[in-house]
Amino acid sequence: MNGVIPPDTGVNGPVLPPQSGRSLTPFQGPKRDSTFAREPARRVFAGELREATIHFRDGTEDMSPAYVLLPTGERCNRVFFIGALTDKQRKGEQNAFYRIRVVDPSGTFFVMASSFNQEAMLQISRIEPPNHVAVVGKPNVYDAPDGSKRVSVRAESFTVVEKEVRDLWVLDTAEATLNRLTRLTAEEISGDALRAKTEYQVDPEVYRKMVYDALTQLKI
Amino acid sequence: MEFSKVAERISQKIGSKGHTVDPAVVERRLRLFVEEFSVQDDEAERSVIADLARQYAIPDMGMGKSGSERKAINEVLTGEWVTVEGKIVALSHSPSPSIKQTGIIADQSGAMRFVIWTKSNLPEVEPGMWYRFDSAVVDAFNGVPSLKAHSGTIITPVPHDEALIPTTTPLADLSPGVASVHGKVVQEWETTHERMLQSGLIGDETGTVKFVLWHDEGKEKLVPGTVYSLYYALVDEFNGRLSLTLNTATAIPEEGDIPVNRGDTTIRGVLVSIAPTPGSGLIRRCPVEGCNRLLSRQNYCPVHEIQIKFHYDLRIKGWLDTGERTSEVLMPRQVVEALTGITLDAAKEIAENSPLGMDEVAIRIRDKVAGRYLVCSGKELDRTLLVASCEIAQFDPITLADLINRASTDLSSRGAV
Repeated sequence: MNGVIPPDTGVNGPVLPPQSGRSLTPFQGPKRDSTFAREPARRVFAGELREATIHFRDGTEDMSPAYVLLPTGERCNRVFFIGALTDKQRKGEQNAFYRIRVVDPSGTFFVMASSFNQEAMLQISRIEPPNHVAVVGKPNVYDAPDGSKRVSVRAESFTVVEKEVRDLWVLDTAEATLNRLTRLTAEEISGDALRAKTEYQVDPEVYRKMVYDALTQLKI
Repeated sequence: MEFSKVAERISQKIGSKGHTVDPAVVERRLRLFVEEFSVQDDEAERSVIADLARQYAIPDMGMGKSGSERKAINEVLTGEWVTVEGKIVALSHSPSPSIKQTGIIADQSGAMRFVIWTKSNLPEVEPGMWYRFDSAVVDAFNGVPSLKAHSGTIITPVPHDEALIPTTTPLADLSPGVASVHGKVVQEWETTHERMLQSGLIGDETGTVKFVLWHDEGKEKLVPGTVYSLYYALVDEFNGRLSLTLNTATAIPEEGDIPVNRGDTTIRGVLVSIAPTPGSGLIRRCPVEGCNRLLSRQNYCPVHEIQIKFHYDLRIKGWLDTGERTSEVLMPRQVVEALTGITLDAAKEIAENSPLGMDEVAIRIRDKVAGRYLVCSGKELDRTLLVASCEIAQFDPITLADLINRASTDLSSRGAV
């Protein structure tokens, strides 16, 4: 809610590789003053976010932003999505938190709201499934007990919205995803896109199909 | 020096005396003076004119007695002694006993302010009449040139019956001085001074400019939303911004409407975050005149300390996110009221009756607009959009059809066949 990137708590957070050999290099990223730009909230379907496994930190400082690399080749520090809230479970006694499932046309987002973000927790406590909810949050990749990687979103805010807003989000996300695919298959591509292409071995067709299916669901 | 422009001007000048000169010849001559002999620009112009005047035996031109050279109003320069002939198109109240009369004099080429000093003992000029000002001085006050009539100036009425049609200047091309504009009153602001009758914003196809109208006999407010021809307004510059003072101007309402370029940025995005109270919702502002700063929850103004007699306002401070970029947005009361349907009075009532107080207003506003797709327009300053108008985005079936096309075309063109 307040535009400040929270420090990573380590709980369910990304495991960061040691930054060897660069420890004495001064921080060269943007300074945290007036030139600080808030990270945009990327539009991504659950079907794509679920496949993300690469996560990294840009810079060596504690407050350097952490990113998840999307299979379509864009880094994201924050995501925005709208879907149906289907399940909400309160866990824990002293340090209560909520596990939330939000469903879009392509799959399910796994969302956490903990006392770490009081505002978001208060908001979700007032919302009952089923409802269309708009969620802003930070994606995290973590290791599941079975050894696989999972993506969850640590929520910054929840709002109940009308169905028409959900439809607008589907259009917006379809367009953003198609744009990323165009950039991914272009001749000149960014470093992030190249990394996604080589490490994820993306088949663009899969994501085009996902976008197509999401859009055609709206037509009814 | 722009030779071709100056040459054109000179040939027109000679042309007005009934002789034809080829601008190309004039330009060659100017170039010769300036480029070959390093003569200063204005001296070169003067020499060429004097030369031509001698050649065609035209009296009173060029090297004639200093000050008696008659000039078009748009040609006079600051510091010059000039003679101009023009129509008194406006007279204003004298701001000081040492000024006998002040107003605007215009000819076909343009208009400028004039001042007749009390000590000059000159006769009074009448509005609407033409006069010749012999040997007046041009000086500049606040960067605006004005014509000063002093005891050495001779003012003589001249008969003139041709109609004077002022040329209008596009707002984007305004510069300090006097100008006629054609524009629409797009905003009316609260007046900040008791002597002020009205202030606001006028716009045309090229841009917008602030206007001010001071209380004056017979002056009436302009009607917002109406297009006007405003003849002979004063253009002032303050802090690098221009403004129009309309007291000298003749305002003629026009039929119809014109498009206005507000120089606005429009952003379509999601309102992903709203600053909590006291940033958004019902807020309290410092009552000290000209301050209006946001007060903290304890009614503390960063400049004027604790203020008990604050006034309430309604606003949203938030982040509008396109997915590629995030901009801070500030929405003033009118925009918040239109967007949420909660008026300032209703917000005060909510705050009074709710156990959460002002927070309740922020929560209700948040529930109505957060997470929504909005189209916001306004001026952008350092990543902050000062929102002048805002609408909730509507679902567009054409966009859906286009995207379906895009998603399927790409599939079939690349898919296995």
